[in-house]
Amino acid sequence: MAGTAQQGGRRRRFAPYGLLSPGVIWLILFFLVPLGYLLRTSLSTRPNRFVPNDLDFAWEWSNYSDAISQFGEQIQRSFVYAGITTVLAIAIGFPLAYVIAFRGGKYKNLLLGLVVVPFFTTYLIRTIAWKTILADSGIVVDVLRTIGVLGENGRLLATPAGVIGGLTYNFLPFMILPIYVSLEKIDPDLVAAAKDLYSTPGRAFRKVVFPFAIPGVIAGSLLTFIPACGDFVNSVFLGSPRTTMIGNVVQNQFLVQLDYPTAAALGFILMVIITIAVLLYARVLGTEDLTG
Amino acid sequence: MTGSTPSGVTRREFITRGGATLGGLALAPALLSSGSAFATAQTDGPGGKVNVLNWPLYIDKKSKKDFTKTTGVALKYNEGINDNNEFFAKYQEELSQDRSIGFDIVMPTSWMAQRLIELGYVQKLPLGDIPNAANLSPTFQNPLWDPTGEYSLPWQTGMTGIAYNIKETGRELTSINDLFDKKFKGKIGVLSEMRDTMGLMALSEGIDPGTIDFAQAKPAFKKLEKASDSGQIRRFTGNDYQDDLVAGNFAACIGWSGDVAQLLIENDKLRFVIPDEGGMKWADTMLWVTPSDKSAPVAAWMNYFYDPAVAARVATYVQYISPVAGIQAELAELDPAAAESPLIFPDEEVQARLHTFGTLDSKQEEQFDNRFAEIAGA
Repeated sequence: MAGTAQQGGRRRRFAPYGLLSPGVIWLILFFLVPLGYLLRTSLSTRPNRFVPNDLDFAWEWSNYSDAISQFGEQIQRSFVYAGITTVLAIAIGFPLAYVIAFRGGKYKNLLLGLVVVPFFTTYLIRTIAWKTILADSGIVVDVLRTIGVLGENGRLLATPAGVIGGLTYNFLPFMILPIYVSLEKIDPDLVAAAKDLYSTPGRAFRKVVFPFAIPGVIAGSLLTFIPACGDFVNSVFLGSPRTTMIGNVVQNQFLVQLDYPTAAALGFILMVIITIAVLLYARVLGTEDLTG
Repeated sequence: MTGSTPSGVTRREFITRGGATLGGLALAPALLSSGSAFATAQTDGPGGKVNVLNWPLYIDKKSKKDFTKTTGVALKYNEGINDNNEFFAKYQEELSQDRSIGFDIVMPTSWMAQRLIELGYVQKLPLGDIPNAANLSPTFQNPLWDPTGEYSLPWQTGMTGIAYNIKETGRELTSINDLFDKKFKGKIGVLSEMRDTMGLMALSEGIDPGTIDFAQAKPAFKKLEKASDSGQIRRFTGNDYQDDLVAGNFAACIGWSGDVAQLLIENDKLRFVIPDEGGMKWADTMLWVTPSDKSAPVAAWMNYFYDPAVAARVATYVQYISPVAGIQAELAELDPAAAESPLIFPDEEVQARLHTFGTLDSKQEEQFDNRFAEIAGA
């Protein structure tokens, strides 16, 4: 008995590493190595405009400072739009997830299905569909003009509102589903217990439901904020030249200007800023609950 | 172990269902493509096979089929070019390393063709095997982008002018400055194709786009920037200006003659005009890229489409200006309306107002592209 425990012990020690290795190898090959190439590209110069792959590695840190000074406005705008999108998604998604989790009853799966079904269409098509929905001569703009939210000649397309609307719509399921998952785990008896102890419904919500929901909100926020920062589709179809985001800039630098070093530098700047923002966010809201 | 597993699925069920799903996923693409595979699969014809890359909606189905029947050359036709810059970005790496891009003939716009010719990515055409090349209209012989005429033959040519929806504008438009009319604020579109938009901007400032350089272009750029910042211009569009024009999101926009001609068939509220100050003319040209070695099939393709009867048939569909001379007679029989169309056969007075954008060297082009991108917001 003792002998097999010893052998099992040695195997058991390496078992976790064995299980991790496919994932780690994948990450190294398809994430870290390309990232290394990207870093190298971002520090290179480009002698010939029309042969953009012919790059000279030259520790060109000015690529970063030039990128920030030239495109600072778009970087800022991307974060503002993504931030507003996240807040709106929480405002719309949380009540919806709450209703499905606590009042869904036997329709829970159907309702969840309805949330997910639009995602069976591709992202691009959904955004183009919004272009038709928000058209100047369409019904949405008509109604908003009549009730006075929009001016006489107001419109939704080619405005920041249109772009943020499109972003919110596209990322809403990413917010609803994590919040739903964390709300669903709550034992309704806990809320009943709070009421038994003379708590008002509002206080019960604040003290019982909301703390449980926070991991879901964090997860949903990350899934919404990070992709929304780099989005470029919504701005192209629903926006105007004054609503371009950093994703559009990178696309232009890469495909039209053929300026790979600048595009790579912008990619890294975006990554660094988002990492810092996410770390701050998690610190503020508390990460212990993420695993709990 | 009696009783079900916690998740309610036994190992046997898991393997069966997993296997079925994987099998379905593996078979699905094959099943989906087999339907179309029979229609499009073409083994090499007796004359070989030619691979062509072109813009969308630039050829009619009948010509594609008839080409193979007449010449015996099998055809692979792909409508993958949507934008000259994206086309270059996609294929430049393989071309620079002399590797095949999977196509023998590509059809970018003339200025991109010039760039490819200068970079050495294009072979001289087998003109000896293309007797119909003699039908090339004199206007396009020995052009700016290919002075010896040995590297390219135009596929279709067209005009850039102002397309507008008369229901939205309420009046006829005649000048480029009509685009800056405050009444149309937020309902103007311009093209993301720098040479078309800046060509018109330059003309509106009295600058000749044929000889323009960056210093001269500054006031034209300033004019565009002001219009964009003030919200006069709604969007910089690619080919998708058509939807906005029809939907009424644009009152007017810079557009291409053939697109509007095609739309006019369905929608009589649209108009196309070459403004008083002038418009742009452009050509999409056929190039034979390196390292393709399909000399005979390439020659067969170009020879076939320079036959006036075929060129007329293509023109009825695309509604653009054919570079082949003498098709008006053929067209009169096929499609009398097209034979009379001022968009396909502009009269002398209009032709005199058309300009071609001048050649820019690498540094100038970079300055133009950068400044334009700055205004377009990217």
